[in-house]
Amino acid sequence: MTDRMRAVRGHVVLVLVGLACVFPIYWMYATSLRRPNDVFETSLLPWPLSLASYGEAARELDVLGLLANTTLVAVAVAVGQLLVALLAAYAFAAYRFRGEKLLYLAMIGTWLVPFQVTMLPNYVLLYQLGLLNTLSGVVLPQLLSGVGVLLLRSHMRSIPAELLEAARMDGRGSWGTLWTVVVPVLRPALAALAILLFVTAWNEYFWPAMVLQRSGAVIQLGIRGFLGTEGVRWGPLMAASGLACLPVFALYLVLQRQVVSAFVRSGLR
Amino acid sequence: MTRPSAPPHRRGPARPARVARLVGLLAAAAVSLTACGIGAPTTSGGTAFAPELAPDQKVDITFESYNLSQAGNWTDTFTELLGEFSREHPNITVKAQKPQGTSPNGVTNAVPSVQAQLATGNPPDVAQLTFGDLDFAAKALGAKPYDDLVGKPAVDAQFGGEHPYAPTAAALGNLDGKTYGMPFVFSTPVLYYNASLFTAAGLDPNRPPQTWAELKSDAQAIKARTGRDGSYVDCLTQVAGDWCYQALVRSNGGAMLSADRTKLAFADPGAVGAVAMAQDLVNSGASPKLSQAQAYPQFARGDMGMLLETSALQGTFQKGAAGKWDLRAAPMPSFDGRPTVPTNSGAALFVLSNDPAKQRAAWELVQFLTSDRAYTAISSKIGYLPLRTGLVDDPRYLQTWARNNPLLAPNLAQLARLEPAQALPGNDYSRIQDEMMGAVETVVYQGADPRTTMSAAQTNAQALMPTQR
Repeated sequence: MTDRMRAVRGHVVLVLVGLACVFPIYWMYATSLRRPNDVFETSLLPWPLSLASYGEAARELDVLGLLANTTLVAVAVAVGQLLVALLAAYAFAAYRFRGEKLLYLAMIGTWLVPFQVTMLPNYVLLYQLGLLNTLSGVVLPQLLSGVGVLLLRSHMRSIPAELLEAARMDGRGSWGTLWTVVVPVLRPALAALAILLFVTAWNEYFWPAMVLQRSGAVIQLGIRGFLGTEGVRWGPLMAASGLACLPVFALYLVLQRQVVSAFVRSGLR
Repeated sequence: MTRPSAPPHRRGPARPARVARLVGLLAAAAVSLTACGIGAPTTSGGTAFAPELAPDQKVDITFESYNLSQAGNWTDTFTELLGEFSREHPNITVKAQKPQGTSPNGVTNAVPSVQAQLATGNPPDVAQLTFGDLDFAAKALGAKPYDDLVGKPAVDAQFGGEHPYAPTAAALGNLDGKTYGMPFVFSTPVLYYNASLFTAAGLDPNRPPQTWAELKSDAQAIKARTGRDGSYVDCLTQVAGDWCYQALVRSNGGAMLSADRTKLAFADPGAVGAVAMAQDLVNSGASPKLSQAQAYPQFARGDMGMLLETSALQGTFQKGAAGKWDLRAAPMPSFDGRPTVPTNSGAALFVLSNDPAKQRAAWELVQFLTSDRAYTAISSKIGYLPLRTGLVDDPRYLQTWARNNPLLAPNLAQLARLEPAQALPGNDYSRIQDEMMGAVETVVYQGADPRTTMSAAQTNAQALMPTQR
């Protein structure tokens, strides 16, 4: 009985925590579905329903274009970070060379340096490269992920040395060993990391806000257009935010089993 | 949104504002380090007037405006106006951009954005900055006085014309006797009130409060008889900035600065009295303890009796009130019958370019954006207050629009008594403002003693003032 009570209590707490997590998302969609004159209402159920805020958001923002740009940036950043992390982690895990530890610590150290410290030098560098106000300018300084190198190196170190030795004896070079032995073994960790990097890049707001000064840029900056001195336009703001969440929700729904499996098997929980 | 609202002042969440400030500080440091190289602003003393452009002389300029940060009518109207300008001046190409930065409020990003671009040696040629930034823009960002760019007669002519600037508005961008910022858009503090709640509370909706004492008793009546909050004065927090607080202080005989702008005066009796009055509104239950972000949606929902606010939010209130409650506007209340001294929120246009041809092109753009035609579009499509007040009486321009928007009247009427909000001096001007408004917030919403708190804040802030001017 006591155990049962404890289990019930635990589930009640979990349900409450779950509701607290889901409620802001529910409120976002609820507000987006209210009529324009009802956006300040605080009733739990939006009624009557209206798609006017979605229409307003679509009229004033090129939502599809912004989502396409955001996808491009997020995929480029995630793929770039994954490739750089894979190659760097492989070098650090498989080779011993002079300055290895120092180089590794320097790379990991970039994870510990606050972004605010590096943003202005990065900004000036982008200006000198002529990449301000471009999507490339958003992607380029983000191509190294210190945490990605750290995680993949740890995973690679857990690969039995005999496996790599066997590959070498089979006549595979470093490049072949990486792609035909290491990558297949690391697939769960790579999948989990790729999802993590993609979602982080998708939600990135700070750096695009520094680099991009044009309207048709990424969805996060487009959404900001509904916030301003003249007050917050909650209806279209929530509608655009709801639309911006959909690709990540869809990704999660479609890949739900693989995502959970990847995180469990990779230890990235 | 084609509502009669008016312009901008600093508003927005505190954290992004701090981040924006951090960006600004870092950029300022970089500007200092490169002061002898690229990006260092030149002094305007002794500069010849920017030469007229030859008809076939091609010039590219950059125009940075926080209005372009906001989707909808704001961006659309400016895009339309800039299109018209390009057709009128085919030799001048204007690249319009919004300020970069992380604050959701473009106004907060405006100065840090210019600073970051100065660090690259490539600031915008024309920037829309707030009046509170005037001193910093002139002395640290390298804004050029129009008097030096095109001569004082040309500046005076721009303030004149068929529908001249309101005399009080024309001086808002002046510093040390020169026009550094061409006044562009602004508001005065307006008392919006919910006439439906007045009626429900047994008050006369046609007689809004004239004095702070009347506001207090009306607010208490609303609270007691309807259960809704009575009033909120959106001038008393760090987030609100100081433009509206200055109106309270000056209406009570106080000031921000000494006449020579070297000593802070925000612990003088006039200021302390204004803060004490606001504290009494909260302590007596006439005003709730709310943040700005909580207060204005509550008013828009119809759950608050009165709100002293910039007319920049008028469109939001009209949307909230439509078909539900009766929104009305009145002038700001006075201290026991003394005439009020409204101050202004808002922004001016600054020329930052060092290149004579770009300076002349910038002047052409500034003239266009402050013309009768531009104000007609800006007021009717965005809702800003027209600084050329005669436009509201001219059937060719804004007469119909003004007749359809009675909420505009108190704001226009207050222009006659307008005094410029003081731009605090020095590189630490925003920290001085934070120190002052932080103390005001502590007094009003946390019950601290007005005199000692404001005195302590003044002592701290005085240390941030420039030592030699």
